[in-house]
Amino acid sequence: MANPANDFIKDYQALAQQSWEAWTRQLQQQQPGGASPFFTPQAAPIGGNDTLERTLAGLKGYFDWMQGVAAAGGQEPAGDWRQQLQQCFGGASQPFAQAFGGIDSAGAEGFIRQWQSWLQGAQHGSFGELPGVNGAMPAFGLNREQQMQQQAMAAAVLESLQATARYQALIQRANAQGMERLQDKLALHAEPGRQIDSLKALYDLWVDAAEEAYAEIALSDEFREVYGEMVNSQMRVRQRQQEQAEQICRQLGVPTRAEVSSLGERLQSLRRELRAGQAPAPQDLAGELATLRQELAELRQRLAVGKEPAAAAAKRTAARPAAAKPAARAAASPAGKPAAKAVAKAARKPAARKAAAPSPSRGKPLSRASSRKRK
Amino acid sequence: MYTPLRIEPTKALLDIAAFQRKLAAGIGHLRNMREPEYANTPRELVYSEDKLKVWHFTGHDKTPSKTPLLIVYALVNTVWMTDLQPDRSMVRNLLAQGEDVYLIDWGYPDFADRWLTLDDYINGYLDRCVDVVRRRHGLEAINLLGICQGGAFSLCYTALHPDKVANLITMVTPVDFHTPGNMLSHWCRNMDVDLFVDAMGNVPAGLMNYVYLTLKPVRLNQQKYIGMVDILDSPAELEDFLRMERWIFDSPDQAGEAFRQFIKDFYQGNKLVKGTLTIGGRLVDLGRVTQPVLNIFAEQDHLVPPDASRALGEHVGTDDYTQLAFKGGHIGIYVSGRAQREVPPAIHQWLRARA
Repeated sequence: MANPANDFIKDYQALAQQSWEAWTRQLQQQQPGGASPFFTPQAAPIGGNDTLERTLAGLKGYFDWMQGVAAAGGQEPAGDWRQQLQQCFGGASQPFAQAFGGIDSAGAEGFIRQWQSWLQGAQHGSFGELPGVNGAMPAFGLNREQQMQQQAMAAAVLESLQATARYQALIQRANAQGMERLQDKLALHAEPGRQIDSLKALYDLWVDAAEEAYAEIALSDEFREVYGEMVNSQMRVRQRQQEQAEQICRQLGVPTRAEVSSLGERLQSLRRELRAGQAPAPQDLAGELATLRQELAELRQRLAVGKEPAAAAAKRTAARPAAAKPAARAAASPAGKPAAKAVAKAARKPAARKAAAPSPSRGKPLSRASSRKRK
Repeated sequence: MYTPLRIEPTKALLDIAAFQRKLAAGIGHLRNMREPEYANTPRELVYSEDKLKVWHFTGHDKTPSKTPLLIVYALVNTVWMTDLQPDRSMVRNLLAQGEDVYLIDWGYPDFADRWLTLDDYINGYLDRCVDVVRRRHGLEAINLLGICQGGAFSLCYTALHPDKVANLITMVTPVDFHTPGNMLSHWCRNMDVDLFVDAMGNVPAGLMNYVYLTLKPVRLNQQKYIGMVDILDSPAELEDFLRMERWIFDSPDQAGEAFRQFIKDFYQGNKLVKGTLTIGGRLVDLGRVTQPVLNIFAEQDHLVPPDASRALGEHVGTDDYTQLAFKGGHIGIYVSGRAQREVPPAIHQWLRARA
């Protein structure tokens, strides 16, 4: 016997779905080139960009989920809440999977889509038709190299699909653990006044649970290994694709990416050599020279002041040039370096003065600041 | 014992209807919305080279400080986060405080930039930008403000060219890349970066954005847009939302060679804190950073965990180190209301005490 309440919910869902689709169509028609009479070319519409696609993908997932929850609630109004929860977040209306599904873009094109387009381009009907997909075979004759390349490509794609499947399994595990966490969180709401009574509140609680579970898995050693292998295997496929594309380009006399890249590397190397070989501008040298002269003068002055008795002694023995020589040598020797260092340090005194200035950490706006002074 | 779920079917249907009503009502606003502008604080171009530009902000309310401040942003995303909109602009607030502000816009690398290395960026581009600002002001040294990866660049630069930097400020800057909870670092540890860059050339912005979204997939890819439905009837809020979307996704590709080095040496090798990093054949010794350092980080940063930034204090050679913990996230530190009130005044006060 038909349940009038369930029928009503189904009717309403159908109506809501139609309404959603109409809304989506209307919004998408705003894209440039769309036939919508509402499109106003003078205003740069936000429709037609990534924002719209992402927004719609995210909202559609949420919308489907809300419908699913409403249906689940309608069918089992007095059922076990854990079972009800499974219905809300299981099956086709998994918002977690939709959150992942909606973030593909041209720049980060889903890998499966990538190699599918390659298959089409390479005129292979399906993955199973690729030579060597069922194991490497020795190749012979004129097309030996191409056959070997195809086999390597098939092996790389297979390896990558396996790595991607391992990654997807971890995402599914995150989803399942998110559900467990949600149950734990919900258990804390089993009191009058704390119960979840809106779809939005349930959704927000689920987001917290799902993100926590995902973060825990994403920071695991297993995820790190699987993620690395997924990326690496995808890159190996990409390299194989490029090899094949370049081979075709070479046959057609079209410049390849590798050739352009090689030219770019040489050009950049030349630019570096050119810059390294460029002498500083004369005015820079003049300024530097003036600074050095000034520092030298200061050094002499300091040495003269600090070594007055020695200077007097030197004066007294000026009549004996042979004895003066070692002193002169000493002044010119690397032993003079510490003196120079000391002066340089003194020249940096402003830094010390700055350090003594009031620290902002003592000021009010930096109440949570911490400051360290060494020495 | 009560059930925690008390969602009446009728109430659920009303929720769905309300959601749809809000969407329908918001269509008009979305349709008439133009691409939101950034703050576009008045500025003049003072230097350009290849794709980079150095801008000098001219909208001073006060006599600017004697030592200018050069903002060094990351290569990922664009520097306009610092000048997002008039009421959320770190640049404007720094100007209002009396700072003389310059910034480097790295531009959008293409395949011609594929072979740019960290040496080219740090000892090349950045050094020449610093020289330009120094010459304009006739100064030996200027102040640097490095943001995120730009903060890591600024640290390297200061260690390699200490005489050209008077004071160094780092914001949300990763220093120790191997602290627990650093998801990005964790994910790329098993990546074969040589293979990756050889296969990709430059790294597409879309791919970078994809990775960032997967750090918090449900929150960033779905919940955020569901929240947007609630502001569809508020043109001002919607404009702010879309401006942020523009900034997040209008991002540059990464020059392949620099990316390779950054991932290998910083994320995988953690060489900056190990003291084994070399750039352009020279060792980057953070002990040579003896200038005053202000390190600002965000307590809820999911991209650069606070511990990754905090580590700086243990490695720089300065005896004048200050750190400031901001209550917010990686983006909120530039655009939140709290950030406008707290961060630029803190920077200015710190610099003024060392002027």
